[in-house]
Amino acid sequence: MRAIFAVFKRELALYFRSPIAYAIGFAVLFFLGMLFNGYIAQANGQFPADSTYAPNLLTFLMFLIAPLLTMRLLAEESREGTLETLMTLPMSESQFIVGKFLAAWGYYTILLLITIVYHILMTIVGIPDLGAAFGAYLGAWLYGGAVIAVALIWSAITEDQIVAAFLGAATILVLYLAEIAAIWIAGQPNTTSAAADFVRELGLQAHFSATMGQGIIRAEDVAYFILLIVGALFITTRIVETRRWRA
Amino acid sequence: MIEVENLTKRYGNVTAVDAITFSAKHGQVTGFLGPNGAGKTTTMRVLTGYMPPTSGKAQIAGYDVFDQSMEVRKRVGYLPENVPLYRDMTARGYLMYIGEIRGVKNRGARADEVLERVGLIDRAYSRIRTLSKGMRQRVGLAQALIHDPAVLILDEPTIGLDPIQVLELRDLVRELGKEHTLLFSTHILSEAEQVCDNVVIINRGKIVANGSPSELRTTLAQGGRVLVRVDADTDAALTLVRELPGVDHAVVEMDGIAVTPKSADFDPRPSIARAVIEKGWNLIELRPLAVNLEEIFLELTRRQETAVDEVAAEEEEMEVAP
Repeated sequence: MRAIFAVFKRELALYFRSPIAYAIGFAVLFFLGMLFNGYIAQANGQFPADSTYAPNLLTFLMFLIAPLLTMRLLAEESREGTLETLMTLPMSESQFIVGKFLAAWGYYTILLLITIVYHILMTIVGIPDLGAAFGAYLGAWLYGGAVIAVALIWSAITEDQIVAAFLGAATILVLYLAEIAAIWIAGQPNTTSAAADFVRELGLQAHFSATMGQGIIRAEDVAYFILLIVGALFITTRIVETRRWRA
Repeated sequence: MIEVENLTKRYGNVTAVDAITFSAKHGQVTGFLGPNGAGKTTTMRVLTGYMPPTSGKAQIAGYDVFDQSMEVRKRVGYLPENVPLYRDMTARGYLMYIGEIRGVKNRGARADEVLERVGLIDRAYSRIRTLSKGMRQRVGLAQALIHDPAVLILDEPTIGLDPIQVLELRDLVRELGKEHTLLFSTHILSEAEQVCDNVVIINRGKIVANGSPSELRTTLAQGGRVLVRVDADTDAALTLVRELPGVDHAVVEMDGIAVTPKSADFDPRPSIARAVIEKGWNLIELRPLAVNLEEIFLELTRRQETAVDEVAAEEEEMEVAP
């Protein structure tokens, strides 16, 4: 616990001392603000105040944000050789990786919390559904954790940050677009709907867009994201272990 | 304190460390001496728990380095060869970070204490990127000392330092060796001779000699080989020495003639001296060979290489024979 907290604290502080975190924060909040502005203008009293807009948009942007947050985390340690010192301290790989993951998730959480300002704005112009907002924010939080964990795998595999970011974005996009793959499969002759459903359920959208993103908290969706986090962190741990033992 | 038994580490087909056995005692500096690529770093990485051995056993303070890795890690301070550090952190910040992971109590006071110890207290709040190579080495050393470990493992701590820094670091190593079990590697022979209580010479993954510098000097000087330098034509001197009784063969080596007697017990020096003087030449030098570690080392590694070549030659013959 102590080691996890030490790693978490250092990494989170590092985000706020490096330009990249501010660049991401600025870009995301600026983009979100512009779109929100457009959305409000369009809505203009025609449909009810809805606080799920910001978390939904943020989860979509995560295919870009998550790899940028995670690319440095492990790739740099292994390139600079600092992994050698750390892995001879009384700290296991899993503690080290969980600390790193929590730092990136922590940064994302801060970003997500800032977007609550849109909910506050909504309460000024109307009466947004608090329950839907809560569900969407919880969903976006878990969704972010899952894609960060997935992107982190690539930072363990390669020492090159750019490659890690690129492959991380590609992997998240594949998970995101499983929905479209499912539609394509369903359109093929001689396929069962079970096959299409299976592919669909593997993807991110099936567990967010129509459910948690709208404020519907389903146990299977929560389980999916938690499983993705645990699974991805387990894989990352194994990769770091194997690389170290071979090096 | 450190017990290594038949330790082997293979990378695929390459055997980096081949069944080595040695031990290091508390309050002593043990030097790990060998050319680059001899297997020094690999051995140290196994001892620190960074990588598992392929076979064999290693214990530190009674704990197995693989099965009880966490216990070992608590008791070992390690300075890796290229001194990896976080360049954006301050020296003190880095020590605090390592101390926190290690669970060191009173971290701030302890960090100041080790910085004082390595002579870096006035640069405590400088970012590591602004420190010189020698200072970074000290930060690395301070990191290894932060939890006051029983065992210190330093991988080539003097590499890349200027001569003054090297001297300072050697003093520090010698001093630390009194309180800790200190294992350090080097490929500089004079360094091992000056700093170590015990030297383990390793080449091509095998231990070729093990003992105190003076022990190594006496055991290996007894090959009976002597070096003679005379103020005369080399060929004439060579002929003269070869014809002396008791001399097996003589070859030109370094800047003199290396003489090997027929038996190791026989000292050819008196007869050589007499013969040279009788010729009317000036005798410049006459001494047993392999008196410093440098020569011992060259001698040992040469022996090992001839042995390897012979085995290779035999293997070739066997292939041809049928």
